[in-house]
Amino acid sequence: MNIPHLTFQDLLPVAPAGVLVVGAIVLLLSEVFLSTAQRTYQAVIGTLTALLAGAVAMNNAFEPARAALQGYVVLDPFSQWMTVLVCLGTALASLLSAGFLNHRNAERGEFYALILFSAAGMSLLAMSAEFITLFINLEVLSISTYALTAFLRRGPRPAEAGFKYFILGAFSASLLLYGAALLYGATGSTRFLDVGLALPQAFAQQPGLVYAGFGLVLAGFAFKVAAVPFHMWTPDVYEGAPTPVTALMSAGVKAAAVVALVRTFLFLVKGLSPEVPFIAFSALALLSMVGGNLLALPQRNVKRMLAYSSIAHAGYLLLGVAALFAPATAKGSDAVGLFTATPLLGSMPNVAASVYKGLLFYLLGYTVTALGAFGTIAALERREDETRSNTWDLERFAGLAQRKPGWAAAMAAFMLSLGGVPPTVGFLGKLYLFGAAVDAGLLGLAVAGVLASVAGVYVYLRVVVYMYMRPAPADAPAPFRHWTTEVALIASAVAVVALGVLPGPVTEWFSRAGMVFGS
Amino acid sequence: MESPLTPYVPVAIVLFLAGAMAAAIPFIAGLLGPRSPSAVKSEIFEGGNPPIGSARQRFAVKFYVVALLFIVFDVEAVFLYPWAVNFQQLGWFGYATMAVFAATLVVALVYVWKKGALSWES
Repeated sequence: MNIPHLTFQDLLPVAPAGVLVVGAIVLLLSEVFLSTAQRTYQAVIGTLTALLAGAVAMNNAFEPARAALQGYVVLDPFSQWMTVLVCLGTALASLLSAGFLNHRNAERGEFYALILFSAAGMSLLAMSAEFITLFINLEVLSISTYALTAFLRRGPRPAEAGFKYFILGAFSASLLLYGAALLYGATGSTRFLDVGLALPQAFAQQPGLVYAGFGLVLAGFAFKVAAVPFHMWTPDVYEGAPTPVTALMSAGVKAAAVVALVRTFLFLVKGLSPEVPFIAFSALALLSMVGGNLLALPQRNVKRMLAYSSIAHAGYLLLGVAALFAPATAKGSDAVGLFTATPLLGSMPNVAASVYKGLLFYLLGYTVTALGAFGTIAALERREDETRSNTWDLERFAGLAQRKPGWAAAMAAFMLSLGGVPPTVGFLGKLYLFGAAVDAGLLGLAVAGVLASVAGVYVYLRVVVYMYMRPAPADAPAPFRHWTTEVALIASAVAVVALGVLPGPVTEWFSRAGMVFGS
Repeated sequence: MESPLTPYVPVAIVLFLAGAMAAAIPFIAGLLGPRSPSAVKSEIFEGGNPPIGSARQRFAVKFYVVALLFIVFDVEAVFLYPWAVNFQQLGWFGYATMAVFAATLVVALVYVWKKGALSWES
């Protein structure tokens, strides 16, 4: 029998997830042993745990890339930075939840524990380098979010959202598993490294099997990323879930799924021509960018509008993924393109490195912006004791600038950042990502993305117009007051503007070579 | 001549014995067992439920919790058996792994206990 020999080095990549799980267990026990009426401390425990895990991951991010735990996971800066982003989103989501749940008498330790379990799943998903590990972590992440979606169980909406998410999520997970089984059948291994090595021969013998496996795995991921045409569940689920959970789903789940997608396909197409995945990713990116922004146009419901906007943002991320598989990138060309040479963006070793930097910076920007935007909505949306029915309507934002100038300014910053207007982090994220795509030779797709995001700007600016240029109705709702919500929103707003003006050290960290193990 | 099926002869014997016993025991019980039939005993047996009636009745959610807990600890047992068989070879690595696994489940048990999921009447 082959007894694995574990060292401390092997446990390093999974340490952030370990911290998150321990924090979640502490929260579960606190719920049953300390039954005080005041439960804000649970949000604080959740936030601190997430920040600690983020610090551990950040420490890991400067380690050289390598395989760990016998090749079941990898330790590389890409996955560890992703963990940092997930932990950041988790910390903000815990803080936002405290006020939100407090005003609905639903504050429970299980909620924060589920958030932390889901974050642990995201972190492990990003570093999985083997199909079974990948699938288990996808389930850890998904099952926690199914439960979170239906957490406010009174009323038909959460039940509908939870049910739809569960059925479609389970369906997409089984698609992914089926694809993995076909690839295992073709190559005889579940480890990405071995599958990648065996694939060229398998492809020569049975191309149909390999194509089917690739297609099913890609469809499973596309569901999780919410890319068009696998996006149908997104608006209903995002609308029905508790708003802080929606924020975490739109930022964290998407980020983890994109990283896992990149890792899976980078390993798998190693011996094959990257042309087919390139075409698939380009098509998904184009459809999602255009579809998400166009579908957001008619929405008056701000939460639903942001759900469609998250589909569009998934499209921008997929543009980056497509750039990784573009012919120019695949050749490993060191040619420095138009954008990588400009002093604004710094010099990059090659196109792939600039794509990784673009993806990570975009995800960072989207995390702080989406958490902030959904957090503002969470504070303003209809509460159970209110009789008006326009839960998330634009009307609720009318005249916010006169009533609450600080809230309006923060929301305006988030909306501009989502639209990609300088000087916000959303603009820089798009600049890096589209710049990298242009360097990879995807000029047409990048132009399409920019045009689609112009349509998106209309959607986001409409919220700003309502806040600043429409008179407030007589019975205008006021945002609830809770210090945790204010801390989280101030932190996100400051991050959105500060990172948009001074991306400095962060871009340095994200642009180091060797971001992805084995690339 | 050695047939490739020879190693499976013991399995075939066990299969035969199992089938024979399953067939014989109801017969022997019918032959030897005392009988005192009543209206309830003569009903068709359906898991303890009345066999005739609407299939769309509501069950207490308590059953679901018990089933869920049963699966958790059943799976734990499934993991424990092969681990126990290979305990010598696995050594401290196996011990530590299983200790972490079991400790997590103990915490979960403490949680459901304190939560009141184990008390039938509440």
